Amino acid sequence: MIYFDNAATSFPKPKAVIEAMEDYFFNVGGNTGRSGHRMAIKASELVFNTRELLARLFNISDSSRIVFTKNITESLNLAVNGFLEKGDQVVTTSMEHNSVMRPLRYLEQKGQIKIFTVQANKEGLVDPAVFEDILKKEKIKLVAVNHASNVTGSLVPVDVIAEIVSRYGSSILVDAAQTAGAYSIDVLSDNIDMLAFTGHKSLLGPQGTGGLYVREGIKLAPLVRGGTGSNSEKEIQPNFLPDQLESGTMNIIGIAGLGAGVKYVLKQSVSKIRQEEMKITKMFVKGVGKIDNIEMYGPRDISKRVSVVSFNIPRHAPSMVAYLLDKQFNLACRSGLHCSPSAHKTIGTFPRGTLRFSFGYFNDAAEVEKGLTALIEISRERYSHNKQTEL
Amino acid sequence: MPLPQLAVIVFMSAHDAIKAKNKLEKARIVHELIPTPKEISSECGMSLRIEKPLLNRALELFRTTDLRYRNDLL
Ligand SMILES: Cc1ncc(COP(=O)(O)O)c(C=O)c1O
Repeated sequence: MIYFDNAATSFPKPKAVIEAMEDYFFNVGGNTGRSGHRMAIKASELVFNTRELLARLFNISDSSRIVFTKNITESLNLAVNGFLEKGDQVVTTSMEHNSVMRPLRYLEQKGQIKIFTVQANKEGLVDPAVFEDILKKEKIKLVAVNHASNVTGSLVPVDVIAEIVSRYGSSILVDAAQTAGAYSIDVLSDNIDMLAFTGHKSLLGPQGTGGLYVREGIKLAPLVRGGTGSNSEKEIQPNFLPDQLESGTMNIIGIAGLGAGVKYVLKQSVSKIRQEEMKITKMFVKGVGKIDNIEMYGPRDISKRVSVVSFNIPRHAPSMVAYLLDKQFNLACRSGLHCSPSAHKTIGTFPRGTLRFSFGYFNDAAEVEKGLTALIEISRERYSHNKQTEL
Repeated sequence: MPLPQLAVIVFMSAHDAIKAKNKLEKARIVHELIPTPKEISSECGMSLRIEKPLLNRALELFRTTDLRYRNDLL
């Protein structure tokens, strides 16, 4: 099977990830922070080590400012709900995933916040000057941006926007679901206040892991309160990180795997991963450009995108093409709206959606060749004339 | 031989306890992570036990970091 659905979740995982999880399961076993015996200490060490590795990856000076979550959706909900208060104003973009959009729209519907949306162009690119125009006129508490779109692969110049945001005394929240591990992120030089990431995509960890970096000085209300293993004499939630935002037993086995994934990324280096992924992305984009009857979306300029490519064969429904790729060509990809209706409206593919190929570090040129060949064949066939195969 | 007096350092979070442990290991200062003794604090979680003569060296090491702790004599 050719796996081109790495934007949904990466596959395969490095062997070290599975080994680290096995090691926790068979040899560590204890809970973190709760007890003082050796098994508990080992578990706490393991979680500490993963935090430190993530801190190294994102250039975070104090790893206690990273809290673990079950995925980036939870991280984004924590940031949005924990940071915003009644009367606050927020800037976001038309390219956001529903994991940013829905928590924001919910608060908006309740009459608590006002949202300003920066409209991206047809390629999915936003203009930093538009952020500045809004920040100049309005008092904005938070700017929430997607680092790279999971629909078009278009990158947002986070460092440029964050510099503007800091000049106006506002704060920025970055959704790094599609970039963490695949594109260089430095919270210090990029001026990032809150960085949300998920463990199971380019960080190569297991599902059920994610996290949020919160800059020193930013206070968030927890989404969940409860046992932390610290301050146990008090019935009030501790007010220090990471404990304040990590109530309840965490996904220790998952965090063990995530640590091994991040270690793997650091060893390969983000720049090498980026280079390899973009090499095959470029090859695919070039190849698709030569196929008649295929419409491709996202930036033409390869340096402005990650390894996510959306396209359509206008004669065929995306779901049918995805079905054929799966059944006849052994190729896994994703069709539809990718949880991002607003992004599809922006590029003009709502409600039809697109086909999406997303490449990972373990894909190679031969697989891309096969993918292109399959698309050529499908684009020539008149499948859509047979109503029964129209899905 | 009389046992050396022991000091206990109580950490706010398991995160700080592990960070301190790593620092001490690097500096080769003998120590032990233990459950926080009841007579010192009713908190659960982890503490670090260290021989009193080594305490100042350890605290000096912690001073340069942002470790959150308090120390007590056992
Ligand atoms: C840009 C973006 N944000 C958020 C998410 C949500 O990720 P998760 O399902 O890991 O919470 C995804 C992935 O589906 C994404 O691509």
